[in-house]
Amino acid sequence: MLIRIKHITIIVVVMQKYRLLKKAKRDECIMKKRGLIMLICVAALLISSGCTQQSEKIIFGDVGWDSMKFHNAVAMYIAETAYDLETEEISGSTPVTYGALKKGDIHLYMETWTDNIPAYSGDVQSGELIELGVNYDDNIQGLYVPRYVVEGDPSRGIEPLAPDLKMVEDLKNYKDVFTDPEDASKGRIYGSISGWEIDEIMRKKVEYYGLDEFYNYIDPGSDAALSASIAGAYEKGEPIVAYYWEPTWITGKYDLLLLEDAPYEESLYRQGKCECPSVRLTVCANPQFVKDNPEFVEFLSKYSTSSELTSKALMYINENNAEYADAAKWFLVEYDNLLDEWLPSDKAELVRGELLK
Amino acid sequence: MHKLLTVFPEDIYIDIKAPIDKFINFMLQNWSPFFEAVSKSLQLFLNAIGSAVNAIPWWLLIIAVFFASYKVSKKISTSILYSALLFFIGVIGLFDMMYATLAIIIASVIISLLIGLPSGIVMSASKKISIFAVPVLDTMQTMPSFVYLIPAVMLLGLGNVPAVIATTIYALPPVIRLTSHGIRQVDVEVVEAAKAFGSTKMQILFKVQIPQALPTIMAGVNQTIMMAISMVVTCSMIGATGLGSEVIKGINRLESGRGFAAGIAIVIVAIILDRLTQGVFKKNE
Repeated sequence: MLIRIKHITIIVVVMQKYRLLKKAKRDECIMKKRGLIMLICVAALLISSGCTQQSEKIIFGDVGWDSMKFHNAVAMYIAETAYDLETEEISGSTPVTYGALKKGDIHLYMETWTDNIPAYSGDVQSGELIELGVNYDDNIQGLYVPRYVVEGDPSRGIEPLAPDLKMVEDLKNYKDVFTDPEDASKGRIYGSISGWEIDEIMRKKVEYYGLDEFYNYIDPGSDAALSASIAGAYEKGEPIVAYYWEPTWITGKYDLLLLEDAPYEESLYRQGKCECPSVRLTVCANPQFVKDNPEFVEFLSKYSTSSELTSKALMYINENNAEYADAAKWFLVEYDNLLDEWLPSDKAELVRGELLK
Repeated sequence: MHKLLTVFPEDIYIDIKAPIDKFINFMLQNWSPFFEAVSKSLQLFLNAIGSAVNAIPWWLLIIAVFFASYKVSKKISTSILYSALLFFIGVIGLFDMMYATLAIIIASVIISLLIGLPSGIVMSASKKISIFAVPVLDTMQTMPSFVYLIPAVMLLGLGNVPAVIATTIYALPPVIRLTSHGIRQVDVEVVEAAKAFGSTKMQILFKVQIPQALPTIMAGVNQTIMMAISMVVTCSMIGATGLGSEVIKGINRLESGRGFAAGIAIVIVAIILDRLTQGVFKKNE
């Protein structure tokens, strides 16, 4: 009996040990299996990323506003179809992307608002940037109000709140129309984004016309916030006076009225005493990129559109909820003659062939 | 086959963008009186806080910080350091900016606490509610703020009001989480004892659980304040005034000095507020 119990104990102990051993082995096995699965996963990932790995890309700068995105899309389409180049778009604020453009991390800007970048002319002169051509130079910027503020809109039941508002200086009489919600004693002018050169000029303009006595000039903080303010006010049918520029989808979608100003004179402009001239919107690129891609650069230097064409494309995007790339295709079909102006005939045919597909 | 492995199948596509846009437009066109009322009342609240903050002269604020930090740290050197740091903000010419920023931070923190403390208590009481609340809180903390800031600007206008709302959304979760966590952590036996003595539920909550949970709740309050400070710059992208807008200007004009000056001032404000509130909660321990 005793022996038996001893035996059983031994057996139990041995079995336990055996189990433990087995468990350890099993764990090891599981670990090994897991390792193998991981390895397979990593390998699969590497292979699939290897499939999509790309060679030298052309990197377009995107500063966020839609006209630039549209021009990027057009140039990207042509780069891909006519020149068989890979393209990529990198987004960021003006100062960040501009720095990257000079360094060469970004290769080109399709729409450079030259007057809004203080360093631009210096950088072009010193050869840190190369100006390839003018994209368009018939744009407008200034202070806008929704048209219904002046003329009313019977269909939406909006009374004209400022019927005699025509010039910037007329704003004096209407501070109660454009009340500042944060300071009821004054009106509010939604200003330009700080850091753009036009901001200084707008501030001077407000002072010059004595509007600072009646209005607070507000820094909207970002262009998204500025467009949101205009869009919000317009949808609600409220009065608003804001700095803005054309062409944009905002000015395409909403019926805005530019307040008139004294005719442009170069000596007065910087002091804010007259209307803003059209800004030269240039195509500019990093010097190294220009050296490396002579053929494509040839096309870029011929790239030229107009404010009207751009706003038509932006309208198309807004009305059809289209992607920029789709708008670029639509644009090249609609304005087919541009291809002949921009490209050598064989390349133009390549693009046309691709568009037909 | 190869394509199916590398590219997500395009056929399975649900458009959630258009309905969201539609909803926002609907709110714009139909609910604007409601949002206007919200905006106006928030504006009044903000103005009240702003004028209360502005009524404090600079020297009084420095003296107050001196005494407050002495009270929590009991070290004269610490209180000299904190008041000197505050004085330094004035020296670099940002005292007024700091006041504007403080007004926004204080307003958001007050709103966060008014909403957060009761919600935390409710959440601690019911598991079901907390199952729903936790993902909501996670969303509030991780949703990129600009996503809801832009509709907020459309609905409420530009400036300090949407800034306070955005800050509140971001700063609210820690105080809710830690209030609920703190109350749950209270020893079951202590609660049982209180029950045995015939305490009502309310008595247990206010006389046993909350006092016991106070250190954790205060840590939540402290976190909420820190979160509010971290939103300062983001809020300035929708027109909030103060130190944040200095930072934005510095960045936009590539004036690193200007950016750093305002950034340092924000850090100082954060450090002082953090140490003072932490001191309070340590004292409670």
